[in-house]
Amino acid sequence: MTLIRFKASQEQDVDLARTYDAIVVGSGAAGGMAAHVLTSQGMKVLLLEAGKKIPIEQELRSMEWPYDHPRRGEAPPGYHAIRFNEYTVRKPPYAKGSAFKHVFSYVGGWGGADYVKNILVDEKDHPYTGTRYAWVRARLLGGKTNIWGRLALRLSDYDFKGKTHDGYGEDWPISYADIEPYYDKVDLYLGISGHKENLPHLPDSLFQRPNKLTAAEVKLRKSLATMGRTLTPYRAGVTTDGVKHNKYRSKCFGRGACGRRPGGCDIHAAFDSPTGLIYPAMDTGNLTLRTNSIAHEVLVDPHTGKARGISFVDAQNHRTYEAKAKVVILAASTLESARLLLLSKSRQHPNGIGNASGHVGHNFCEHVMGPGVTGLVKEMVGAPPTLDDGKPGGFYVARFRNLEDKQPGFIRGYGFEGGSGFSIFPDSAWDTPGFGGQFKKSVREHAGAFISMGGFGEVLARYENYMDLDPEVKDSWGIPVLRFNYQFGDNEKKMCEDMANAGKEMFEAAGIEVVGVDKNILTEGWSIHELGTARMGTDPKTSVLNQFQQSHDVKNLFVVDGSSHVSASCQNPTWTIMALAWRSCEHLADEFKRGNL
Amino acid sequence: MTISRREMIQATAAAAGALALPSSKSGAPVPPLPPVPPKFFTPAEFALVDELSDMIIPTDQQSAGARAAGVAAYIDGRLAESFEPEPPQRWRAGIQAVEALSREMSGTTFMESTPAQRLALLTRIAAAESDPKTDAEKFFKEIKGGTIRAYYTSKIGIHDDQQYKGNVIQPGEYAGYDAT
Repeated sequence: MTLIRFKASQEQDVDLARTYDAIVVGSGAAGGMAAHVLTSQGMKVLLLEAGKKIPIEQELRSMEWPYDHPRRGEAPPGYHAIRFNEYTVRKPPYAKGSAFKHVFSYVGGWGGADYVKNILVDEKDHPYTGTRYAWVRARLLGGKTNIWGRLALRLSDYDFKGKTHDGYGEDWPISYADIEPYYDKVDLYLGISGHKENLPHLPDSLFQRPNKLTAAEVKLRKSLATMGRTLTPYRAGVTTDGVKHNKYRSKCFGRGACGRRPGGCDIHAAFDSPTGLIYPAMDTGNLTLRTNSIAHEVLVDPHTGKARGISFVDAQNHRTYEAKAKVVILAASTLESARLLLLSKSRQHPNGIGNASGHVGHNFCEHVMGPGVTGLVKEMVGAPPTLDDGKPGGFYVARFRNLEDKQPGFIRGYGFEGGSGFSIFPDSAWDTPGFGGQFKKSVREHAGAFISMGGFGEVLARYENYMDLDPEVKDSWGIPVLRFNYQFGDNEKKMCEDMANAGKEMFEAAGIEVVGVDKNILTEGWSIHELGTARMGTDPKTSVLNQFQQSHDVKNLFVVDGSSHVSASCQNPTWTIMALAWRSCEHLADEFKRGNL
Repeated sequence: MTISRREMIQATAAAAGALALPSSKSGAPVPPLPPVPPKFFTPAEFALVDELSDMIIPTDQQSAGARAAGVAAYIDGRLAESFEPEPPQRWRAGIQAVEALSREMSGTTFMESTPAQRLALLTRIAAAESDPKTDAEKFFKEIKGGTIRAYYTSKIGIHDDQQYKGNVIQPGEYAGYDAT
């Protein structure tokens, strides 16, 4: 079949003399959604993206065979991905003193570093300091949505009302009923694949055609069902039936390159912000995009204290410019938005704009990962090869801890992401001993017989976990960098012990031979699910934003990304980020039209 | 993010090639000359790496082995352009350790020794795979890793040996089973 690719609308000239209705900072999931919702409401929007726009299809080359690449997918000499050990024995900035020409986060070490070398930031230009943290950043149009893992889950009132449930932390200022219509809108506008399970703690989306499971996964699903637990096909932010209203995206054809690289889909069946949100927004005629625009200050009107625009540095010519708008919307990512708020000090906002509470940068939370289990499905040994990786993902095991039960060692819960079966590279070869004909035969016979899964657990939001500005270190554009003051606590450690044990028990109960149990916790940040730092709440003394992600202090300032989340839950955040941004921007547009901003 | 657990925490290994063995006094078959001279290895080093890789993943009834898959040439190419000085040094030292062990065990170079003697050497350095101590034992892990990486990313490895079914367009349903 032929896939027809539509070129995105021409970028319009950016008129910096003009006062736009709104400026959106950041073009990832949150910024893209803000641009979509506001432009569809007729507002004139300027979208500033710190990174460049690159021909992403040429980067991703989703179906390229390893042997057709000169280095089998590895990056050219001089490129280096930070290894697990480097994160554990050193502290940031990790690229400091490195002899390598370019240094990337660990994601650059996954199969296919060459495919992300122009997507991930170079750590040499983007240092940070403080406690150890594996910070993955993608500065380009669309941000991390260009390579995200695609697992698209809803939160429930077990998450929004966590404090009510177990007494810890704060409830969100919204409940599931408030956000449900917006989850529905996101589902329908972008497309999501999944299988209905009717779980109160993992609400179903409006699903398109689901993933399939392997025989091993069906076996585990059936066994888990007898324990009251649910293994469901990977809920993927991928349009499997197509989205007819979007000419920039194809439906998924299960081409099978999905699992072997850090995400990315060159036919855009997997959601990415440019094709899913930004190009359609540009087609309204209401969106102006400026890339290579590194925002470093929210400008303040000295008379009213309100936001009046954004000061940004051009990434290429290093000059500083000002852009003006009636409303400023930050969507630069959880950590970059917090940095920007803290950088925006003025007479009216001496602690940084929107930070009268002193909570900006605090209450950071994310997902802890590392513990997991690998099993051998004996009846699959020697089975003829089947097509097991031609789909957007493997499987997901929904949270089962601290719902109706109460664990003695920890609160909150975790889910598992997993996969099984044949893939393009037989990973089990690494662990197969010996050499020669027996080795080769063993690798072949076992290639499709393994199943593995790893936990993603909720890290509790704690005030003591925070990021602030480093007083000395600056990035390549002279902007002060973030300093991390963050580490996992006792609850996370206890939860991780349970993850490993529970994973082992579940495999054993299903008759799967456990061949590996991983108990090690990966470095803080590894999940790439950073959240908090500008949380929503009803009390301006202990929160930064109200339920519409609007600053308590500055009514024409909004922060619509993951920084607004009150708790991390254990579900992957992207779908919630977009549903919240949709809800807030709809409110914003209403208020704007009423002249209330 | 989704990725195999292995890839999440494993550093990347070097990778693979095509070949050249000098004539052998032992009477073993003489492989064809390499199409191009090696870029990093000396011809003698290349011959050793080529032979060892093909002993690690040999031809069997299912598929051709590492030599036919060009494992040594791929490894040679990566080492020749290595940004870090250490990997080339490590490989060269490892080859020297193998040669030293060969002289100790057989009184001659690895490639001059008989197939039985080569097998005995490989068996010996592979025996300590889970806890290598000598330089030759450490080199076994190095060359086995490089051979695995290169072979299973080659056409022969992916299509002939693994008979991989994916990386194809599925116009209809995904392959697999419904969640019932």
